[in-house]
Amino acid sequence: MERPDGKGRPVDLLVEGFRKGTPGAFEAIVRAHQDRVYSFCARMLSDREDALDAAQEVFLSAWRNLSGFRGEAALSTWLLRIAANRCLNRIRRRKSLSEREAPWPEPSGEVDDGIIFQPAGGEGDRPDRLAETCEMREILTEALSHLDPGSRWMVLLSDVEGFSYEEIASLAEVPVGTVKSRLHRARMAMRRLLSPVA
Amino acid sequence: MDTMDCTQARNLLSEHQDRTLDTAPAAALGAHLRGCGECAGADASLLAVRGLLRGLPPDPAPPELLARVLPAVESEDRDARPISAPGGADAARPFLSRFRVPLEAAAVVLLFASVYWYQQTSPPTVRPPAAPSVQAPVTTPPVDVSPEAGKASPSRPMAAKRDVAKGPPPAIRPPGGNPETAMEAGPSLPKPRPWAADGLPSAPAYFASTDSERIVPAAPFPRLTADLEGPGAPASGGRRSAEAGGGANFRLSRSFAAPPSRLLRPLPYERDLVVNVKPESREGAEERIAEWALRLGGIVERVERNPAGADPGEGRVRAILPVPVATRFLEEMDRIGTIPPEGKPDAADFPAGARAGSIAYTVRVR
Repeated sequence: MERPDGKGRPVDLLVEGFRKGTPGAFEAIVRAHQDRVYSFCARMLSDREDALDAAQEVFLSAWRNLSGFRGEAALSTWLLRIAANRCLNRIRRRKSLSEREAPWPEPSGEVDDGIIFQPAGGEGDRPDRLAETCEMREILTEALSHLDPGSRWMVLLSDVEGFSYEEIASLAEVPVGTVKSRLHRARMAMRRLLSPVA
Repeated sequence: MDTMDCTQARNLLSEHQDRTLDTAPAAALGAHLRGCGECAGADASLLAVRGLLRGLPPDPAPPELLARVLPAVESEDRDARPISAPGGADAARPFLSRFRVPLEAAAVVLLFASVYWYQQTSPPTVRPPAAPSVQAPVTTPPVDVSPEAGKASPSRPMAAKRDVAKGPPPAIRPPGGNPETAMEAGPSLPKPRPWAADGLPSAPAYFASTDSERIVPAAPFPRLTADLEGPGAPASGGRRSAEAGGGANFRLSRSFAAPPSRLLRPLPYERDLVVNVKPESREGAEERIAEWALRLGGIVERVERNPAGADPGEGRVRAILPVPVATRFLEEMDRIGTIPPEGKPDAADFPAGARAGSIAYTVRVR
């Protein structure tokens, strides 16, 4: 049972309600997960309209296949899996991908290599304070957009959404070791990008 | 004891933080971090970055998302739910929507049946007389309600000739009339089914049906009624039956469309016009006529002097004018010269039924 909507309404009951044809059950599911799904799509695609389209596809796909959802994972995990696949498909379809996406920096010993932010100032600019602000959200989103898509979605699923290595490996259909190494490189790149604030 | 260099240590930082390292590498890394401030700093900053990412709040979804998803789902629900979705929500579908296709099919069948019934119960098949000649336009609706129907009228010489040649037109029995009398007028024709003229639609029809057997009421031209009721009106304007009396307007206000063969003939209608011009203003009369035709928005097809087959000194102008300016054109012709009575077609005398959009005048200038 998960309670992501903060209203004390178990999502599993919503799924059951949908299966039974309860009116409004699917709308409640969408309301409960739309922020998470949309955020993931927006961070993956870096485009609001693309993210809206992808999120819509996610929920439509969910509506079509929810009857086959067996509940082995949380509904949010299941939805994010769909979202990841949809976003990756969209990214593959982008013809101008190489122009739009800067290659993610290789790890190097230089701390100030690839810095995209101004150095932090006084006490009020400490990362733990900034994380609570919208500015930090924008900074993180900007930093994420500098990763290559193949690594970005792993960071999003792992560090933002809390997916395990195994879950990501099954999604990406790659060995767990590959996930570990790619994730490590992506995290180090993020660390370097965020070094002035982190 | 530190058995690990910095590169090895940094490659294990992620797994170390995820606590997925085996015991031995984890112990070696711990020993290295305790002795290497730089790698310890990297570990701390990586942990901070991951903490920031972990605390990254979701962006609120725009309201458009829900507004897009729900209608799309409802649309799919209507079309695909019975096949691919669980049957629970199927109960929510409107009852009648399950019978949409049969209902539509029934509506189509009903429509065809209505058309068939209408055709079967339409007025009798009576052919109106032939089209009026362009030389002597008909000034009456081609309906004669009198018992003398079919007899030639002196004021309709051309039409009378045609009537004689073709035989009398079928009489249409007026409301309350004697069917026997009507049958006498056209004994060779099949007996018409009884019908009432006042069963015709009240609104005038401006277009005749392509069904040549169908009588379609047409709108009378305004001046037609005036001419017929005026003192100089030809007596042939639909012979008023005795019982019509003061209610003769009933007949005069109705006429019948010509058969499609005439309605569909190429436009415009042809009119010949004779203009006698005084000798002192004879010079350039054709050009003045052409100029007026152009000024009124018409087209001048040709301007000729002494054409073949014409009288000596005669000129001809052929112009096509929009119907609304035909009267004005005739007035101007009357100013340029004199139009003898036999050379002036009544511009208002358009045939009943469809109104032509234009009218072609061949003006013969003498």
